[in-house]
Amino acid sequence: MFTDAPNFDVRDYLRLEMMPHFLCPGCGHGIALRALLWALHDLAIDKDKLAIVSGIGCAGRLSAYIDANTFHTTHGRPLAFATGLALARPDLHVVVISGDGDCLAIGGNHLIHACRRNLKLTCLMLNNEIYGMTGGQVSPTTAETRLTTTTPLGNNEPSFDACALASAAGAGFVGREVTRHVPKLKELMKAGLEHPGFAFIEVLTDCTEVYGRKNELGSSPEMIMRQKSDMRPSAYRNTVDTPFHPTSLPTGILMQNDRPEYGAAYRRAAALAAAKGAKK
Amino acid sequence: MSGSKLASVEAGEASAAPAPIARKTPFNVLIVGVGGQGVIMVSKVLAALAQWRGFEVKQSEVHGMAKRGGSVFSHVRFGERVWSPTIAKGEADVLIALEWAEGLRWLPYLKPATGIFICDTKRIVPPFACLNRKPGAPMRYSRETAEQVANYVAEGYAIDATTMAEELGNERAANVVLLGALSTALDFPIADWESTVSEFVPKKTIAVNLEAFRLGRTWIAEARSPAPATGTPPLLPLAEVPFTPRLEINAAWCKSCDICVKMCPERCLRLNDDRIAELANPEKCTGCRLCEWLCPDFAIRVHLEAQGKAAEEAAR
Repeated sequence: MFTDAPNFDVRDYLRLEMMPHFLCPGCGHGIALRALLWALHDLAIDKDKLAIVSGIGCAGRLSAYIDANTFHTTHGRPLAFATGLALARPDLHVVVISGDGDCLAIGGNHLIHACRRNLKLTCLMLNNEIYGMTGGQVSPTTAETRLTTTTPLGNNEPSFDACALASAAGAGFVGREVTRHVPKLKELMKAGLEHPGFAFIEVLTDCTEVYGRKNELGSSPEMIMRQKSDMRPSAYRNTVDTPFHPTSLPTGILMQNDRPEYGAAYRRAAALAAAKGAKK
Repeated sequence: MSGSKLASVEAGEASAAPAPIARKTPFNVLIVGVGGQGVIMVSKVLAALAQWRGFEVKQSEVHGMAKRGGSVFSHVRFGERVWSPTIAKGEADVLIALEWAEGLRWLPYLKPATGIFICDTKRIVPPFACLNRKPGAPMRYSRETAEQVANYVAEGYAIDATTMAEELGNERAANVVLLGALSTALDFPIADWESTVSEFVPKKTIAVNLEAFRLGRTWIAEARSPAPATGTPPLLPLAEVPFTPRLEINAAWCKSCDICVKMCPERCLRLNDDRIAELANPEKCTGCRLCEWLCPDFAIRVHLEAQGKAAEEAAR
């Protein structure tokens, strides 16, 4: 399969003065960022009409490198900021970049309520199973038995299935992909960006320097190659005994429905209220 | 091109109680194609007809590939007494192929001296033939022309059955066109053929299928006429567009993570003494862009340049 992208140069979308970025060598977040920028390029989204909102953490830092309207917010709250932004400026494409800790632990409530409202937003959760920036603490998605700085004897909490959570909470679009399959990841992001409601996309990325090193998962290429054997489409089930990720994880578009979008309903209600006020 | 052991093409009455024709050694027909084309249907018609004519018939097949678009074959053997259900290499009297490359794949099964090869020129390119190519490069689909193949078989016909069936209004009748072609190689009355075909095709499509059957029959009759109407539609060679991949590596951004080196399918990258990625074997690079996609630091950009233009620039 050959996918040519003659017109796409990722540097057109980066703040070149900020490069090279601060991410560790081999960090999967860079690959996820490329896929996002590629998807934005394919959809021909104007950079002036694009708002990137991110939280805190390695993933939150990505907004600083994108040459668009970016908003680096407080820990766990990018969805709250983005909700306000999307309601006030429906003409913008609002993309939230968040990490697993940012999105599921500190911002867990924001996530479920954003899913419930189904406001037109695209939320990327870059899941590397660890709090990398703060020193490698256990996160809600850390697989069982994995070593982190706060679980020196191995994590014994079950991990979170973020996509199941988002589906249950009512998100209009839920998808998951690994960083190894960049064109597929791009296509998934495109589908999410085009979805008229809340799109939640979980990207499984590798934290090689902290998580990988602590758990002796090998070098960056080894980790990225393991994605192929560990994270297969659900139809094949997982055949590896000690997977990097907890269970076999289905990838691709997991859920898509056409629940009513919140922004339109909100503006309709606001217009109605304004009309009533004018009558008085 | 005329086969000595071929039956004449005159139509016969459907006999109510057919007398078994003496055929000491079994007659072997191998039917091959791609899943979904109707290989099994063709073999069913043939097997049912042979049985009706009083032969012992053994048929074996691989099926279930229809959903996967995979290689499907069916062995049909009939005669006074048939023991083995499969045809050995070099033993098939007739090889019917519903797809060009599948036909070539099974050619060794044909009897070298007398085998008849009837092949649809339809090309169904398997996904693996498209992998790891330079852009615009030809697919790794068989490049043999019908003329080349003709040298290898005693009697061969490349018939564009799919287009013929399309012209009749139903592309899916292509297998029946080939069945009509096959019918010329066997001495069964045409009325028996037509009644058996009618039994096996959906009721609504009986008319179009019978027409397809006759079309295939007359096509072979015409192709066999002394005029050199071999009926081999030209297989157009795919244009090869030469591209040279060029890697632009930004050393300042490279963090020596080794992903590009280890993930390159052609293993043409390496880390140099400063642990910066570099293209070690430019001639092996196919321009697949995997290194560009997987570089987390945006340090690699693959440029694909037309060879002529690249050569011009080098000359400047």
